[in-house]
Amino acid sequence: MAEPILKVNSVTKCFGGLTAVDDVSFSVEKGEIVGLIGPNGAGKTTLFNVISGYYAPTKGSVIFQGNDISGKPPYDLAGVGIGRTFQVVKPFAGLTVLENVTIASFLKHPKKADAERHAWQVLETTGLADRANVSAAGLTLAGRKRLEISKALALEPSFLLLDEVVAGLNPTEADRTVELIMKLKAQGLTILIVEHIMRVIMNISDRLVVLNFGKKIAEGTPSEVSSDPHVVQAYFGEEAA
Amino acid sequence: MKNRGATILAIIGAALLILPLVVHDTFVLRVLTEGVMWIGLAIAFDVIAGYTGYLNFGHGAFFGIGAYTIGILMMQANLPFWAALPAGGVAAAIVALIAGIPTLRLKGAYFAIATWALSRAIQQLALNVEFTGGPDGMRLEAFLNPQFFYYLMLITVGGTFAILWYLLERAPFGLKLKAIREDEEGAKALGLNPTKLKMQSFILSALPTGILGGIYAYWITFIDPSSTLGDLVSDQAVVMVVFGGMGTLFGPALGAILIFAFKTIFWAYLSDFQLLYLIILGALIAISVIFIPNGLWGTMVKRKAGAARPQQNAEPVSEPAALSAVAAPEEGN
Repeated sequence: MAEPILKVNSVTKCFGGLTAVDDVSFSVEKGEIVGLIGPNGAGKTTLFNVISGYYAPTKGSVIFQGNDISGKPPYDLAGVGIGRTFQVVKPFAGLTVLENVTIASFLKHPKKADAERHAWQVLETTGLADRANVSAAGLTLAGRKRLEISKALALEPSFLLLDEVVAGLNPTEADRTVELIMKLKAQGLTILIVEHIMRVIMNISDRLVVLNFGKKIAEGTPSEVSSDPHVVQAYFGEEAA
Repeated sequence: MKNRGATILAIIGAALLILPLVVHDTFVLRVLTEGVMWIGLAIAFDVIAGYTGYLNFGHGAFFGIGAYTIGILMMQANLPFWAALPAGGVAAAIVALIAGIPTLRLKGAYFAIATWALSRAIQQLALNVEFTGGPDGMRLEAFLNPQFFYYLMLITVGGTFAILWYLLERAPFGLKLKAIREDEEGAKALGLNPTKLKMQSFILSALPTGILGGIYAYWITFIDPSSTLGDLVSDQAVVMVVFGGMGTLFGPALGAILIFAFKTIFWAYLSDFQLLYLIILGALIAISVIFIPNGLWGTMVKRKAGAARPQQNAEPVSEPAALSAVAAPEEGN
């Protein structure tokens, strides 16, 4: 097997006395979709923030394409090919949708005209092209989540971190987003996704990593994980297991 | 539309260039020179305040530092004006660099307070050290040529306007600054280094301000801590930019023209009521923040585009359709 694109080595992240992520290790192979699941407060977003450079790990390391990236700032990681979205969406509200995406396109297209052209292409892919000149503040929640994905994609990443891009959408919108994610996978992107909606995560993930109270409690294919007694216990409580 | 804008600009520029040939009244020329200077101060202020979202209440410090640098270099080091002038800009830029390291970590009101305090500290310094002349100020060698100063101011401000327009409206730099203004954390994920961009913006704002301070010092020939380092320079710049429209270049220019015209008329006819001027200035900033948060220019542009931006915190998804239709009447046109 080839070298994994991402290796998380015994990552621990503490905030004062609270250990949000506790000695978690897993890896992601090139081209696969790995789902990161767990109950609320399990440490999924914290782990995302460690991988994308927003937090430095307290212990352990993150290896991306063979390089140790632990503790590198997010703006450098965008340059090496890591794109991310935010669970709490972060649109540049005072700017148009096109401007939002153009800013991300600058990373690979330093000239403004080129960046704008590239941003248009991204918006065509994500289905936001007809909203390009609307202020980002005027988008619906579904639109904002799409804008998050568009901005991450405009970085032309090789590895994409998606933090709850489906949650909060109605079923039709959710299906469109799943379709988009599958299209990105077909294009060769590697994706690590956090999602609460089981219908979605079970269907699109090649493998799942399950966290509970900051610890990894299971890892495997969706069917393996869903029958794992630890996972059932974490989600449904002692008796169900 | 774009061509018409360029034509209007060209006409204004040409009119300003030939004006001294027609107008020989020194008072009028003096007012025009100062008006042009304020346009420059306002657009330079807007780089950090409007585009980057860091309201600098110590903008006047850069102006004063430029003025004092030229004063000291000309009177104590006997340098000619042309050699001293660039040093005024550089000195202001260096102070921005040093002051920016701690203050640009702060946000919102905290940055405003920190920069205000810093400018007060610099004024106190100028009052208490010897080489500035302390409270007595400093007298520069007089060069009495109103036309010279009018043209120098015009060229400096025109050049500043052109450079800022290219960097902020044409090059990617302006959009990157706006990304920092809108969401610093979100901008990081897109490969932008906020610390670096904010620093560049602060320096870009300070440099022309220092140069304008230097020209002012040589023009007025007398500088003291209250005229060049006082609150009024910063406060007026804030009002001009907020009233005119932040985050644009034409807004601050328009605000500068209107506020300065008002000030001149007020001073000419109501000079006994100087306190009233400050009260009006304060009221004006409150009124414009409440009723025209986008400033005059921003409001005009939006009217024209016919696409009012929905309210800042509008959450269209949770609103009934009718409500969001009110918030954004012709959205998408």
